[in-house]
Amino acid sequence: MSQSQVNQTVETIIETENLGKTVFSSDAELNILSAVDLRIKSAESLAIVGASGSGKSTLLSLLAGLDTPSTGSIHLKGHDITQMDEDGRAAIRNQFVGFVFQSFQLLSNLSALENVMLPLELANDNNAEYSATLLLERVGLGERLSHTPKQLSGGEQQRVALARAFVTRPAILFADEPTGNLDSKTGSHIIDLLFELNQEQQTTLVLVTHDKALANRCQRMITLEAGKVI
Amino acid sequence: MNRFRLALRLLWREGRSGELTILLIALIIAVTSSTAISLFADRLHRTMSTQAAEFLAADLVITSPTLLPPVWQEKAKQLNLKQAQTAEFSSVLIENDELLLAGIKSVSELYPLRGHLKVTQTDYNDEKITTKPPKQGNVWVEPRILSALKLQLGDSLMVGEKKLTISHILTYEPDKRGDFYSFSPRVMINADDLAATEVIQAGSHVHYFFQYSGQKDDLATFSQWAKLHLNASQRLMDVHEDRPELGNALSRAERYLGLSSIIVILIAGVAIAMATQRYSERHFNTSAILRCLGCKQNEIIWLYSYQFLFLGLFASSLGTLLGWLGQQGLFYLLRDLLPAEVANPSFLAVILGFITGQAILLGFALPPLLRLKKVSALRVLRRELEPLPSSAWLVYGCALTLISLLIWRYTNDLKMTATLLGGGLITLIIMGSIIYALLIQARPLLPKLSLSWRLGLQGLLRTPKTTVSQILAFTMTLVAMILSFVVSSDLIRDWQQQLPDNAPNHFALNIFPEQIETFKDDLKQENIQLNQLYPVVKGRLVEINDTPVQQIVSKESQGQRATHRDLSLTFSSQLPQDNKITQGQWWDSESTEKGLVSIEEKLAKSLKVTLGDKLTFTVGSQQFNARISNIRSVKWDTMKPNFYMVFSPSTLDGYAKTYLTSFYLPKENKNSLNRLVKKYSAMTVLEVDAILDQFKTILTQLTQAINYLLYFALLAGFTVLFAAVYASLDQRIYEGALMRTLGANRALLRNSHLIEFSLLGFISGFLAIVIAETLTFALYYFALKFEYHPHYLLWILSPLAGTITVAIAGYLGVNKVITQPPMKILRTTADN
Repeated sequence: MSQSQVNQTVETIIETENLGKTVFSSDAELNILSAVDLRIKSAESLAIVGASGSGKSTLLSLLAGLDTPSTGSIHLKGHDITQMDEDGRAAIRNQFVGFVFQSFQLLSNLSALENVMLPLELANDNNAEYSATLLLERVGLGERLSHTPKQLSGGEQQRVALARAFVTRPAILFADEPTGNLDSKTGSHIIDLLFELNQEQQTTLVLVTHDKALANRCQRMITLEAGKVI
Repeated sequence: MNRFRLALRLLWREGRSGELTILLIALIIAVTSSTAISLFADRLHRTMSTQAAEFLAADLVITSPTLLPPVWQEKAKQLNLKQAQTAEFSSVLIENDELLLAGIKSVSELYPLRGHLKVTQTDYNDEKITTKPPKQGNVWVEPRILSALKLQLGDSLMVGEKKLTISHILTYEPDKRGDFYSFSPRVMINADDLAATEVIQAGSHVHYFFQYSGQKDDLATFSQWAKLHLNASQRLMDVHEDRPELGNALSRAERYLGLSSIIVILIAGVAIAMATQRYSERHFNTSAILRCLGCKQNEIIWLYSYQFLFLGLFASSLGTLLGWLGQQGLFYLLRDLLPAEVANPSFLAVILGFITGQAILLGFALPPLLRLKKVSALRVLRRELEPLPSSAWLVYGCALTLISLLIWRYTNDLKMTATLLGGGLITLIIMGSIIYALLIQARPLLPKLSLSWRLGLQGLLRTPKTTVSQILAFTMTLVAMILSFVVSSDLIRDWQQQLPDNAPNHFALNIFPEQIETFKDDLKQENIQLNQLYPVVKGRLVEINDTPVQQIVSKESQGQRATHRDLSLTFSSQLPQDNKITQGQWWDSESTEKGLVSIEEKLAKSLKVTLGDKLTFTVGSQQFNARISNIRSVKWDTMKPNFYMVFSPSTLDGYAKTYLTSFYLPKENKNSLNRLVKKYSAMTVLEVDAILDQFKTILTQLTQAINYLLYFALLAGFTVLFAAVYASLDQRIYEGALMRTLGANRALLRNSHLIEFSLLGFISGFLAIVIAETLTFALYYFALKFEYHPHYLLWILSPLAGTITVAIAGYLGVNKVITQPPMKILRTTADN
């Protein structure tokens, strides 16, 4: 492997080529996404914007290996995840990827601490409790460790979700409308926190939003329309 | 290891949040019931077997016309078996110029090995129980000996050449049989006096009974060894064969116990399947998040399997403990009926209960759990993505295999297993399809209904497949409860019919034809109701189709035993009560055709004879022939006179005959018997009241035990119905809350829910009775050999009970939709 190839692998964390997704209904086929060529560099922050139904969330789910494309390829950290089976992609997610969702997706039966500990426990980390506590303190929930999601406000739940996403120090973080369920003030606090943690950990951030202001805080922005990058 | 610890941690967190409650309750019910019933059945079976063994006065008895060689004694000694020996023979006693044929029984030191004797020294009052036989030099006699020979207690009695002192009146011996020797009044002597009587000479007709008792395994070893060493004239006795009236009751009760086990397991299985289904559905999101966080499919399954394994271990341990307490409770309730010494709980039965718990969990919980593996990680973004259901083959295959194994293990009866499974499955599939079709057909009705009815029915029609599976689950539970109820009440009714309160408890034999009229009058005067009088001619079967019978019958067969002695032959124009013709036809009651005989079916089989065969009999020195005109089945367990051979009316003309009858005599009127016996000195009275009392006690015990088991099954059934309804509520609660936000008032919601659940319950209750009746018919016809009658009342009660139970459970379950703010519910349900 030449030096330039190594540099390119280090530099580019995600690369897609001719990425497309088509779904078939009973009487027609629908191109949700077509011919997306994308290169995302390490530690870069990228916003994917577009109207509802433009294919933003589909692109995010493909990039994160949650779904499989109909055409094209995706390389994540040098691994062609389109050639992998579901378990292979799960291993990649476990190793490199963190998520923040619009609907928080916390486990309702677990406390804030336990929710944050979970990805570490899955990775057999013996210091799960310590690391999770530190990060929850970092997001300002040091006093709410034992509270369950039902006992937390929306903003607090999203902070737990942020802590869960960052606790494994992922190479890349995917955020799907992270402020979609929050009021603008709480939303802006969450975004501040997201970018602070992103800076601290030098994480690559891929963020789906239709909020132009939020998108502008990212280093780069791509816009989707009818499944195509414009 | 780490995965295991993580699974435990997740389990702990789930448990703390109350997520596992329904599942845990279902599992605990399953294990508690199966352990309680398996322990109860096992202990009851062993207690009853010990009690039944009393009827043989030992655990194992070998009869022989000669003494057994010493090697038998040594073998029994090696196996640490206790041994006793009795010899029975007839002898004529002469005292005070009176003459009487008595049944002498000499008994050894340890007789009886099981059960006890009853004696008195003051004529019936003040009976004493003893387990020691008469001392050397003493003799115990039945009261009739005293009256017939004009003797009193303390007098001496010559038995053969030996003078013995009458020390006690014998009122009960456990192993008194209804054969010829037992018919004669009993005289019991010590075995050490036997030789001195000099009654037994070479060629004497003696029956020796070699009795053994000990540990089950040792007895089994001895029994196996004995079977290899028995000669043609020796026989191993068995309570099922030698006491059919008791053996039948015991085997039916055992079958019922087996059936109860299956029923509670089935009920618990339904609960577990429903609870796991709910658990699985509530964990789709968790699985999706775990997948998102990098968990592989197999890891998810292992995470949940570890949790279930641990949950199973916990619930099984607790259930085993509760089951153990439960069966102790059942024995406590039965304490007045059962003997003071009840068999101890067996460790194996405890372990089996535990293993059963694990097996039920695996069979019923694994298929819904496997769905979690199929949850897509994409569900974190798209909530509507539901995993594919597990293959129907897998779901039903797992549960079916498990149920078949359990049924087979409990009943040890392939026929019963196939009957229950086959009958149940076929009816279930047919009924499921019909309900599905009806639900689909009901759709056009919706616009014509009032709003609450429309909403209620819509609840059922929304997802017909789910509705059908819920109905089938409720139906299965109700079927199990109905079966439990129906079989137990029919079993008990059958026993009551078999032994009504005034069942004949005395047999009178040797009544001469010229005595009949006065005998009838005397009975009337004593207020004794007389049953039918049967003529009896003593005769022996000697040839079949002109071939000597001994060349035809095989050794040790019923045929050999029946032809080895005089048979009681009778004639009748009518088919005896409780008999059924299985082949051929009963002769015309007006017929005067001679030489026809009706033969009992088992004897016919053993003698290898069929319709039209010629049988030759000897009566005294005369010989006559008869042709088999029909073959009968006989109920030997009715305690009524029964005959192997019944001839057409004029066939036995000209032979000396006596009459035989049976009657009921209450204990307080026993003195009447003495008066009758005095007047009809040649008449033999066989007193079976003690045997009947003992038999009735056993039936009462079994009846009570079965009733308690029924209550247990019903309780488990209702609990599970409630749990099952609760497990199906999530979607309804969510939709109810949504409707409230849209402006539906509480009354509308309450009514529509009541309608929905009542319909569910009604359909389930109706289906349940159809399936239960089919199964009962199959069970009675193939396995229990009962006569089947439809249970009309249940056709009303079952749908009614289904409607009320499911409606109440459902109403209570969804009540929070009405009482709590809708937003709170929506938030809670959306989280799951």
